[in-house]
Amino acid sequence: MKKNIILFLAVIAFTSNAFSQAKKPTIMVVPSDVWCNTNGYMMEYDNQGTKVKIPNYKKAFQENSDVQFVISTIGNMMAERGFPLKRMDQVIKTLESNSAEDAMMSSKDSGMGASESPNDKLKAVAKADIIMGLTWTINQTGPEKSVTFVLDGIDAYTDKQVAGATGTGPSSFSAELPVLLEEAVLAHIDNFNAALMTHFEDLFANGREVIVRVKKWDDWYEDLETEYGDDEEELGVLIEDWMADNTVQGRFNTTDATENMMLFEQVRIPLYYERNGKQRAMDTRRFARNLSKYLKEEFEIVSKVTTKGLGRATIYLGGK
Amino acid sequence: MRINTSLKVSSLLLLTLICFTFNINAQKGKKKADKETVAWRYELEAVATGSAGTYQVKVWSYSKNVETAMEQAKKNAVHGIIFKGFPKKDRVQGQKPIVTDPTIDIQNKDFFEQFFKTGGGDYMRFVTLANNGQIGLGDRIKISKKEYKIGVVVSVNKSELRKYLEKAGIIKGLSNGF
Repeated sequence: MKKNIILFLAVIAFTSNAFSQAKKPTIMVVPSDVWCNTNGYMMEYDNQGTKVKIPNYKKAFQENSDVQFVISTIGNMMAERGFPLKRMDQVIKTLESNSAEDAMMSSKDSGMGASESPNDKLKAVAKADIIMGLTWTINQTGPEKSVTFVLDGIDAYTDKQVAGATGTGPSSFSAELPVLLEEAVLAHIDNFNAALMTHFEDLFANGREVIVRVKKWDDWYEDLETEYGDDEEELGVLIEDWMADNTVQGRFNTTDATENMMLFEQVRIPLYYERNGKQRAMDTRRFARNLSKYLKEEFEIVSKVTTKGLGRATIYLGGK
Repeated sequence: MRINTSLKVSSLLLLTLICFTFNINAQKGKKKADKETVAWRYELEAVATGSAGTYQVKVWSYSKNVETAMEQAKKNAVHGIIFKGFPKKDRVQGQKPIVTDPTIDIQNKDFFEQFFKTGGGDYMRFVTLANNGQIGLGDRIKISKKEYKIGVVVSVNKSELRKYLEKAGIIKGLSNGF
């Protein structure tokens, strides 16, 4: 009997633990635009008469062994801290193979291919929740060499810098570049992770910071200034009220609001929600779906929710 | 014959006495180190970045004699890496402390007392004396009639130290909660 009770308690402890983990952000190291430009890894294209330069990451990964070396060293250190990185070179390969696979795939019954909207195509790019922007420059004074190293941690959705480490390492007459680069990574990665830890602590204390946009379809006859409910309140204000009630400590900013759109920034969403008596991890999609449900149940407004990773959602009012 | 025997006995006695005195001095050094370490009066200075997760620092400790300072240096270095961090020097990068909550030593008083215990404290697992513990020429500064400021270079394995503290539940890991 005692054994059964202990077993039961252990199962409960395990289950509650398994369902109380927040969604883990993905991290990817990306060579910065400055590094790509300095080292000649850019592509140029004509955008309606304007020449636009964008980084050519594939070429950088295929031709530059130093970038592989630095990313691998950072990856090792991050994996040791329980945060394995998403490798950009591998993501690019997977995207290419997925695209080839999708193009060849057809239904056995109808012979039709898999559906893909222009939006789906646009989303098929290498992405992560936190981007570690990597830059290094080699400083040379006579035979003396040193490396200036910059590592920026950017939240992909809020565009905020959440961590960073910069500095110029000791100069050397004899050390090869990889040795100087390794030293730079080892000297900076702990400070970078300390800043990242502070960001995660803030996330656990005050909720995940995300961005929510509300827009309306062109053919919807109502707008965000239409009055709803017994109090005849504007829809935009009602949405703001919902945000205040459902964010952590009511924290959010209405950055922009017109009759057609609303932009909410610094929205702090809770990390967990309860479903069927169990705690589950919350992301922006789930949060925006809750707002969408509220609008349908209270005001019979149908809406469509689209997301970008863990931290950005858009609700389109007036249809799916 | 008798003189030879008594000489042998005297030599043995003398040797035993010398050994005993050395031991007492070492114990005294350790006890003194314990007493003086409690004040955590020291400064850390960046020397070099070693292999993965290891940092070489110069620990400036205050003491009346060199032995005590050597004992203190190791403890102070580990304490500094956990609680204070150290600033950048010339082109050697400084490091932030492992703990972000400065009250963590008060909250875990018993753990840290055991951790920094002289002769058996786990802190010894993460620190080694560099240059066989030799003190550089300019690293022994007399600051008063009875007190020296002594700089000892040590190597601390911050990476393993952090893992140890995470395992003991003193600090949270980077992926904790995800």
